[in-house]
Amino acid sequence: MANLLWLQGGACSGNTMSFLNAEEPSACDLVTDFGINVLWQPSLGLELGDDVKAILEKCISGEIKLDIFVFEGTVIDAPNGTGEWNRFCGRPMKEWVKELSEASDFVVAIGDCATWGGIPANAPNPTDSKGLQFLKRAKGGALGEGFTAKSGLPVINIPGCPAHPDWVTQILVAVATGRADDLTLDEFQRPKTFFSSFTQTGCTRNMHFAYKVSTTAFGQRKGCLFYDLGCRGPMTHSPCNRILWNRQSSKTRAGMPCLGCTEPEFPFFDLAPGTVFKTQTVMGVPKDMPTGVDKKGYVKLTAAAKGAAPAWAEEDIFVV
Amino acid sequence: MEDKASSPEDDALRDKIRTLLANGLETEVWPRAETSEMVNQIVNRLQTEAGDDLKKTLKIGGFTDHTITADDMEQPCETCMYYLVHRKFCELPELDVPVEPEWSCRLWRI
Repeated sequence: MANLLWLQGGACSGNTMSFLNAEEPSACDLVTDFGINVLWQPSLGLELGDDVKAILEKCISGEIKLDIFVFEGTVIDAPNGTGEWNRFCGRPMKEWVKELSEASDFVVAIGDCATWGGIPANAPNPTDSKGLQFLKRAKGGALGEGFTAKSGLPVINIPGCPAHPDWVTQILVAVATGRADDLTLDEFQRPKTFFSSFTQTGCTRNMHFAYKVSTTAFGQRKGCLFYDLGCRGPMTHSPCNRILWNRQSSKTRAGMPCLGCTEPEFPFFDLAPGTVFKTQTVMGVPKDMPTGVDKKGYVKLTAAAKGAAPAWAEEDIFVV
Repeated sequence: MEDKASSPEDDALRDKIRTLLANGLETEVWPRAETSEMVNQIVNRLQTEAGDDLKKTLKIGGFTDHTITADDMEQPCETCMYYLVHRKFCELPELDVPVEPEWSCRLWRI
């Protein structure tokens, strides 16, 4: 039996909604098959008010052993570092977060807001929002760079807007069943099992990427979304095209450019007008290259691939 | 699969463009669309000022019947992301014209 407590800070509940859509295993399976005891969760917990507060206090005192502390949403510091803009159970949420994190064997940040601040931390960041151990790309966050939970692991970051339910459930199951030692984390403390490959890995539009054929308008089923519509699939670490959403599809398969939501900089370019769904260029060359590709190589490769493109690559081959 | 090689209609329109450019149609070759903001401005002008007017499209797009080099990079239609190799066609919705591989315009992008 592993006790799990889930709280929300500056959040939209999107990750809770995603989690509740989990199928293999489902949220119920976590309880019935994997021995996870959900002490409280904002959308599932039966307790209200002082009864919730009592659970939190018992977790901190050790009366209830806290195995896994899950946090969704940003840690809000405003105004003036007090955190008073996000009070919960009679005190600033940031204080609960700090004490519960120190009391827990494992701390799991779910979603962009909890990992690196996400949209709320976008400039000018009026709520002084931050993630548990990062603010965008900078280490530190609410708990500080050196924080480790009782297990010795730092915060396990599962980013996404929202995170895929399988990423959440599989990590929770691994931790709850004593397989945390199998987890390896990357430089942003994301589990490598999910975040080593790119969103592009497994994308059905890869052949169009290879032959440099662009999707030039929404609704086209041919072409690659990277070249013109701002897709960040070639430089975003996620398994969105390996572990499909609803077991069916992904953004790029459905014709929607990847927004790079598992990377610390999301949302990119501060959401300035003209930057969303539009590949940013400098003198005709993409500002952000596919990871590991330099400008010179990109230009050479593109010219060669374009010249070699077969006729079918320029057609809509997904004809029913 | 339908053969999408250049059609007689495309060929006729391409000839018309070739003639316009050879006869000295003045187009806005410079400045090139150096930044995304400039791209957006030019595309916006194509949408609002050019519409279906071919000459205005060529003018605002900065078309030339030869390759332009900018920032030490050749910018032929041939390598542009909007170019369909087999149809010899520019697929940018605001341009949407048949071209030749050695032609160029200031919305070139790779």
